[in-house]
Amino acid sequence: MFYVRLFFHYWMQYLKIRMEYRSDFFVQLVTDLMFQGVNLVFIIVVFSHTADLSGWSREEVIFIYGYFLVPFSLFASFFNLWDFNERYIIKGELDRVLTRPAHSLFQVILETMTPESLSGGITGLLVMGWAGWKMGLELSWYDPLLFILFVLGGGAIYAGIYILLTSISLFSDSKTDIQPIMFNVGNYGRYPVDVYNKVIRTVLTWVIPFAFVGFYPASFFLNEERWMTLALLTPVVGLVWLYLGIKVWNWGIRNYRGAGN
Amino acid sequence: MRSIEAKGLTKDFKVYQSRSGLKGAFRDLLNRKYRMIRAVDHINLSIEQGEIVGYIGENGAGKSTTIKMLTGILEPTSGTLQVNGYDPHREREQFVRTIGVVFGQRSQLWWDIAVRESFRLLKKLYRIPDDSYRQHLDRLVEVLEIGSFLDQPVRKLSLGQRMRCELAAALLHRPRLLFLDEPTIGLDVLVKENIRHFLKQVNKEYGTTILLTTHDLSDIEALCSRVVMLDQGKIIYDGDLERLRSQWGDGRRLILELKDEISLSALNERSHGLALRWEGEGTRFVAHMENGTGVSDVLSRLVPAVTVREMKIEEATTEDIVRRIYREGITHHA
Repeated sequence: MFYVRLFFHYWMQYLKIRMEYRSDFFVQLVTDLMFQGVNLVFIIVVFSHTADLSGWSREEVIFIYGYFLVPFSLFASFFNLWDFNERYIIKGELDRVLTRPAHSLFQVILETMTPESLSGGITGLLVMGWAGWKMGLELSWYDPLLFILFVLGGGAIYAGIYILLTSISLFSDSKTDIQPIMFNVGNYGRYPVDVYNKVIRTVLTWVIPFAFVGFYPASFFLNEERWMTLALLTPVVGLVWLYLGIKVWNWGIRNYRGAGN
Repeated sequence: MRSIEAKGLTKDFKVYQSRSGLKGAFRDLLNRKYRMIRAVDHINLSIEQGEIVGYIGENGAGKSTTIKMLTGILEPTSGTLQVNGYDPHREREQFVRTIGVVFGQRSQLWWDIAVRESFRLLKKLYRIPDDSYRQHLDRLVEVLEIGSFLDQPVRKLSLGQRMRCELAAALLHRPRLLFLDEPTIGLDVLVKENIRHFLKQVNKEYGTTILLTTHDLSDIEALCSRVVMLDQGKIIYDGDLERLRSQWGDGRRLILELKDEISLSALNERSHGLALRWEGEGTRFVAHMENGTGVSDVLSRLVPAVTVREMKIEEATTEDIVRRIYREGITHHA
């Protein structure tokens, strides 16, 4: 409860800061919308050239892509840990965080969140809606509920992996280039996994499970029987990775060496 | 309950060494060489509730590492540590509610939002009840005179204004123990004076324990009854400021301007038997007097033979003393 209230307050403060630079805020909003629009056009143009992809129709591929954008936007809004090493370790902001009575990771997330990235999720929903409408997809009463669960699970997988990678900074402040690599690997989750060979498929499922962020749950809504079980595992995989990420983070905090003076 | 109780507190850091060249880089990848550096070495420290203690030492002596262990930021390598009855690192989230922290070179406030909003966020973070918050904030605002810029964002404040807000922020939740790291760095004399006055008041009124690290020894002189001095990770002095002065002050210096020229040996002859050393030539002389030698003793020996035109007595400043200790090491005297 305390954390929910804290979240709310940080959110309000964030909005206030953004509103203070009002023109800036609107410019950003317009840019975001334009960016999402371009994104949308890009997706449709690219996919309209591929009739189908190893048994997947164009609409299905677009649907999966649109779905992927939703958990991804969740991740992009609340796990902006890109400059963690620079800002929190080298500049020493983590010292301040650690003298405050709330979980350190939670504070870092609240301080770095960019809720406007959620707009990507709206694009995703539009893309999904369009593709679903084209295919005449039908929804069951439980589909929206599962959708929320899957999106949270997918977001948690992304979050867990990135928290884990960010925690490396707590052990050593030297730069690592794993994050951008991982970011690229993450993109593989947006396409049907049966276009990849077996090794990559296994890696995307059991090692770095990005397939759970996009493909598996999306295929569930396309009424694909083949990956039904895997799709339903999404929230579980999400919990496992989030748990792992937080564990490693806590372990890292115990090893934290402080900002060098 | 004691504010701080540390026994054998130690912190080691692993420092990785990188080998040169491409070959070295490959070897580093497989087998990194490192050496251990002991930043804090078996420190015993006991501070009672309500004390104001100055924690001093050169750069790299281990001051900030100690403070970071005491505030729960770092986990000690070994030794036992109790601060306000908690293990600072293990019970961090409960523990930090009982302390306040001001790091002079780093803001505790949110840069972009109004000071008042920063305080409100802290209120939520520390879960301060409404009525107690309002009451206490009003008092802090009044005493620190920060009312006029509460609605400005922190980035628009001057250093002195910011510092006063930082102090208010650190005290909002009424901590029993306040850590101040270089609280007066870069401030002008008047602001320094105000802040010292305020700290004394807080200490007296609420019985808040204050641990202060500073390079400005006038802070220590103005505030602290007790000084802990650190060198190479070890405590080399722990006691009151007066004792430090008398042990290390090496007495006073008497500077004389004489009417007529006199030789050094003649002066030595006159002051024979007194614990002092002469320096100078012509008409200007300095007598370095050891502790216990009185100015009047010296003058009574001189006056029959020489005419003193001008004289000045100088006492070693705390700064001189500390500088000497760093240079010579404490063992020299002890």
